[in-house]
Amino acid sequence: MKIRLFLILAFFLTEGKGFIHWLEHNLLSCPIKQLSGIDCPGCGLQRSLVALIKGDLITSVKFYPATIPILGLFLFTLIHLKFDFKNGAFIIKMLYIGVTLIIVINYIYKIFTNQLI
Amino acid sequence: MSEEQLPGEDPKKNEQEGDFSSETTPESTSSFAEETTVPVEPTPTANQGNGFPPNNGGFPPPNNGGGFPPNNGGYGGGLQQALPNATIVLVLGIISIVLCCCYGILGLIPAIIALVLSKKDKALYAANPGLYTLSSFKNLNAGRVCAIIGLILNILSFLYYAAIIIMFGSGILSDPNKMQDILRGMQ
Repeated sequence: MKIRLFLILAFFLTEGKGFIHWLEHNLLSCPIKQLSGIDCPGCGLQRSLVALIKGDLITSVKFYPATIPILGLFLFTLIHLKFDFKNGAFIIKMLYIGVTLIIVINYIYKIFTNQLI
Repeated sequence: MSEEQLPGEDPKKNEQEGDFSSETTPESTSSFAEETTVPVEPTPTANQGNGFPPNNGGFPPPNNGGGFPPNNGGYGGGLQQALPNATIVLVLGIISIVLCCCYGILGLIPAIIALVLSKKDKALYAANPGLYTLSSFKNLNAGRVCAIIGLILNILSFLYYAAIIIMFGSGILSDPNKMQDILRGMQ
């Protein structure tokens, strides 16, 4: 287990730039965007993830504000399933509702500021 | 009689339970039920298990409750288990929203699976609440809420995509040249 963690860390430290470069040029394309030319509610997630891996928080939030809450939700769920907090289920529920609100409000904001295309 | 039957039939029962658990329920619950039934009361529970092997494999909790009637009423016993599908429902409910962003149809699958599983587990918990831990029930409820929200969002986004495609399709069909000009202007 420790050896595996060390290998992953070493991979990110040595090959990190190559990995990010590979990620940047191999983003999955959105079918809705290809079909209609209009962004879907999930467009920008991959760009913002790449920006987050680079360490650029502000551009990540600008591309897709819900990335950091989604990652936090995943992390908290894993920790809660492992250690079983007292109010964990309630916190997960609230985080989930917050993430959905962020996604919906962000999409409506994009519609009214003409950023969809 | 019982002492002679026990060593011969136990391995068979274990194999059967392993087969059932791999198909229907996660391995942890059935193995947990097996561990708990054996040490406290060796002979009567083992006989019951031999009498109803499929029942034990498919639904470990009711058989367990039959083995320990006093524990059913007392909430302080250390034999409370987690609900079999609580964590799966939670994880599927959370996954449903991430997938909703892409196609609108992909996210429907985990949401519906989570809803069906949570309905089953709710019935299990309502049958005898003393057997299962409260935290797993809370997890189940949270997963259910997540799945419902994910389902609604998925349906909404699907309707939205359908509306966009219908609009574009009708536009292209009615006036192709003008639509192409508009598309060029957009790009």
